[in-house]
Amino acid sequence: MMKLKKIKVGSIIYQAFLWIYSLISLYPLVWMVFYSLKNNDEIFVTNPFGFPTNFRIENYITAWSRYNVPRYFINSLFVAFVTVLGTIILSVMFAYAAARMEWRFKDAARIYITLGMFIPVQVIMIPLATLVRDLNLNNTYLSLIIPYIAFNLSFSSMVFYGFLRTVPFELEESGYIDGANIYYTFFYIILPTIKPAIATMIIFVFLSSWNEFTMALILISKESLKTLPLGLLFFQGEFTTDWGAMGAAMTIASFPTILIYLLFSEQVEKALTVGSSVKG
Amino acid sequence: MYKYLRNKVAILIFTLPALIVFSVIVFYPIIQTFYKSMFDWNGLGKGTFIFLDNYKRLLKDSIFHISIRNGLIFAAVLAVLQIGIGTFLAFAVSDIALKGRNFLRITYFIPVVLSITVVCQLWLSIYNEEFGLINKLMEQLGFLYRQNWLSSEKSAIYAVAVVNAWQYMGYHFALILAAVKSLPEQYFEAARIDGAGKIKAHISITIPLLYETYKFCLILAVTGGLNAFANMYIMTNGGPGDVTYTLTFLMYRSAFRVNEFGYGCAAAAVLVIECLLATIIINKSFRRKQITY
Repeated sequence: MMKLKKIKVGSIIYQAFLWIYSLISLYPLVWMVFYSLKNNDEIFVTNPFGFPTNFRIENYITAWSRYNVPRYFINSLFVAFVTVLGTIILSVMFAYAAARMEWRFKDAARIYITLGMFIPVQVIMIPLATLVRDLNLNNTYLSLIIPYIAFNLSFSSMVFYGFLRTVPFELEESGYIDGANIYYTFFYIILPTIKPAIATMIIFVFLSSWNEFTMALILISKESLKTLPLGLLFFQGEFTTDWGAMGAAMTIASFPTILIYLLFSEQVEKALTVGSSVKG
Repeated sequence: MYKYLRNKVAILIFTLPALIVFSVIVFYPIIQTFYKSMFDWNGLGKGTFIFLDNYKRLLKDSIFHISIRNGLIFAAVLAVLQIGIGTFLAFAVSDIALKGRNFLRITYFIPVVLSITVVCQLWLSIYNEEFGLINKLMEQLGFLYRQNWLSSEKSAIYAVAVVNAWQYMGYHFALILAAVKSLPEQYFEAARIDGAGKIKAHISITIPLLYETYKFCLILAVTGGLNAFANMYIMTNGGPGDVTYTLTFLMYRSAFRVNEFGYGCAAAAVLVIECLLATIIINKSFRRKQITY
């Protein structure tokens, strides 16, 4: 009897911890969405915690029309889109040659590219900034997109390499026998077999470039080229008093990634954790 | 067939774009970081060669000492909170009998997909002295104690580290959960037959089996802590005073605010060595018998 009671108390504490942490993890976000729909009076005095009494959509209109949020949003979308495209194309091609073709330096080349996974962005920031300046790429989309591609390349190549090693070599043989050239074989026979890996990497690269902050800070200073993570910093200065609009802008910035996560939660988790098997 | 896969033109077309982009944007700048760390260089022209003077100056710089200390604190906070909480939650969610496990899983992971700017801005309002969530909550509970968590010299670095731990806990949670799921079921059945309790079974069976995962999580948390930058840039700007400086922040300030590019490169070089050292130490201390199942 005593033992049973002890187990019950333990299990209640255990359950409680799970739900309390869930609250700690989620509530700040909910709180943000709530205050994006309130006015200052409600946020600060009358109703700081709860559901908004009347939805103040005007905060969203303010965020969208008065500040540069649409510009940042489009920039983020464009940069992420081109980065995804560039990274996938370059890394799939490289991984194919490294995993399946025959050439002398293929292991050396693979290890060389792999090195990139162990290099923190910060380490190359200063030379990268001067390089971008010397190439006259300062304040262009390319100054952001090319480094993003370069930094995603290593990881993405290794993931594709891992997948391509598991594809049977008979596929190339059949292409060869049918008289298809290597490009045709690669594009129409091999690529379709690694579609799941490509989908995973699209999610991964999209999320990482949508949220990237440090390189954007160093490489972009022009207002019209800023991406959301950089653009949202402007609220730190003059607009801190308008919490509603700030919350609205933050909600807008978070919406795409949260939506992607809610729609594809298992794939997103897989995409972000696939690294452990490669890096470990 | 042999010749087919040795098509030299195809190999060049497939590999050159990736190799060129990587070499120019990643590899060349690394070499430059080390090389330029031995120069008195303002970012323009060649600069003057001063060999190790930048490093000597670093050793005497009090901000450098603060930065090293903060990097270690940050790494320790991340490692303890993320891996500790992550382990507990992942083991709980791996239990199929748990009610609401899908909901819990999603709530634990969701902060990971947010942008660091949003997270930092959000926590700035949570920490806010007058209107912040924490102080408002204290008020509701009847405590008169208020604090601006970020402006106290003692607590600032911890307050910043907690934000990072909060955001990326879900990542470690997902890593550990994926690893637990991949373990063969028999292990737990054996434990259950033996009468081992749930917690006991996890401590004596699951945790040792996951040691590869833990090694990875630890490397991630420690190097992540040593590299910390965006959190302090957005939340404290290195302050109050310079108590929340980290190596990256020191590097950033040297190069992009006071034009001492060479000195900044030296800080970056120290950071690489520090990360490398941490990785080697973790790898060494985890090198035990390989577990196979």
